[in-house]
Amino acid sequence: MSAYADSVQDLIDAFARLPGIGPKSAQRIAFHLLKAEPEESRNLASAVTAARERTRFCERCFNISEETLCSICVDPKRDSDLLCVVEEPRDVVAVERTLEFRGRYHVLGGAIDHLQGVGPEQLRIKELLARVGPEETREVVICTNPNLEGEATALYLNRVLDVPGLIVSQIASGLPVGGDLEYADELTLGRALTGRRLIQGEST
Amino acid sequence: MELNRLSLHNFRSYAELELEFPSGLTALRGPNGIGKSNLLEAIGYLSTLKSFRGVPGEAMVARDTSSAVLRADVVDADGRAALIETEITCNGRARTQVNRVRSRRARDVLETFVVSVFSPDDLKLLKQGPSLRRDYCDDVLVAIRPANDLVRADWEKALRQRNAFLKQLRSSARASLPEPEATTLAVWDQKLSEAGDILVSLRESLVARITPAVAEAYRDLGGGSDLVEIRYQRSWKGPLGDALAEGTGDDIRRGVTLRGPHRDELEIRLNGLPARTHASQGEQRCLSLALRLAAHRELTGSRGSPPVLLLDDVFSELDPRRSRALLDSLPQGQTFLSTATMLPDGCEPDLDLRVTNGGAQVREWVP
Repeated sequence: MSAYADSVQDLIDAFARLPGIGPKSAQRIAFHLLKAEPEESRNLASAVTAARERTRFCERCFNISEETLCSICVDPKRDSDLLCVVEEPRDVVAVERTLEFRGRYHVLGGAIDHLQGVGPEQLRIKELLARVGPEETREVVICTNPNLEGEATALYLNRVLDVPGLIVSQIASGLPVGGDLEYADELTLGRALTGRRLIQGEST
Repeated sequence: MELNRLSLHNFRSYAELELEFPSGLTALRGPNGIGKSNLLEAIGYLSTLKSFRGVPGEAMVARDTSSAVLRADVVDADGRAALIETEITCNGRARTQVNRVRSRRARDVLETFVVSVFSPDDLKLLKQGPSLRRDYCDDVLVAIRPANDLVRADWEKALRQRNAFLKQLRSSARASLPEPEATTLAVWDQKLSEAGDILVSLRESLVARITPAVAEAYRDLGGGSDLVEIRYQRSWKGPLGDALAEGTGDDIRRGVTLRGPHRDELEIRLNGLPARTHASQGEQRCLSLALRLAAHRELTGSRGSPPVLLLDDVFSELDPRRSRALLDSLPQGQTFLSTATMLPDGCEPDLDLRVTNGGAQVREWVP
């Protein structure tokens, strides 16, 4: 028997199902809305519905978009021969924030994770291979997460992107800028050493 | 390394307990089932964040309470004081802090506080299957260098993924693998061989290092001049990547990976014969103690100071001569021993505690 009215309990349950929100936070948000002006709840509801109804996946890169093609895909100032492969739409936002990348994207929709039932067929890899030729891609930059699933996905992409003349690169992993070497965990520091770059002389 | 003070709240038979320990030997005495091992288990938990009895977290929370709290003032190998605190909830989850900083991984605690446990269960190292011996190897590797935990975790994660994929393939068994399955499997073979190569080379170098130490410990424990050999036997030949590729057919039929570090054996031989099948009960017991003692000495050397030693009811199974030999062979360091019977001859504890009253109280022993 719940201590709340049914509709309140439904609201709390709905919030608690969202990622990053536990039962306590769900309860707090629900009571905040009930206490606030009705306007606030109406705005939230319509924002959720509008975002859900107006957005879809970009037909080319599978980023979230309000049009058939997303704003990055239709931007003529973008390098059309440079393609950055990421796992999720939120990773596009992360790479965009760097202002370092002027190419286009391809969103896989996840990483290979057989424990979750995700294999290469469940990712948009066929669609990626179909883009490389017609778009005259020069370089594919693989930006999957530096964990086991992301690394396995990168390895898989490297094997299937076996196209003559195509450069396949992978994002480097290393130390956070502004950090101290002594505070870096040994795995990250080890990776940074393995992926060190030459600043003088010739590589052996 | 040293444990100066321990406090327990709702941990097994202890509703509330607070004890201070000397840096030498502490004896815990009392009849069977009174809670001596629980105390040692608590000390062990504060190092490895698991029970050396192999039980899940919730089993250690006192009945009808919501959580157990363990707190220890310790001194690490470099002589720095640290406070280790952990709370185990009744659904088995644990939160741990070292010096009031939340630590998410067991290895954070192992950086600060290491224990060596000897218990009658160690005989299983000789008598039972290879998984216990692999765990012995891996546990010593992690205690020597807590970051080795990552090597083991990397291997296990990659293995779980490959096995999940194999199970999926089993339902669609065909003579040759179509794409993209063949490439996917090749990717996992590569990931597994990368992680497996590191794990096996760590294990093999440990075995090479520890074998003479086990032989020496065996002699020290009065096992005589028998020839003690330990061999690490890989479950495959050649590079792991090739072996995985060759075994693909079998792996798909069975739905599991049949070659790799998770199938390896640590064979212990006495006078040229496998100890599991050919050694006597007494020899096996002596060998199991020798394995623990060698690991304890190895850790003492590599960490720069002896781990806190927990001897859980070890002497009940040993004759007086061997008990004496064990005590004489231990490196100088803080030691806790539990016994339901007499202390071995010549054993003079710095703190002699009697566990009484249903295990709820500990008070100084008055003969």
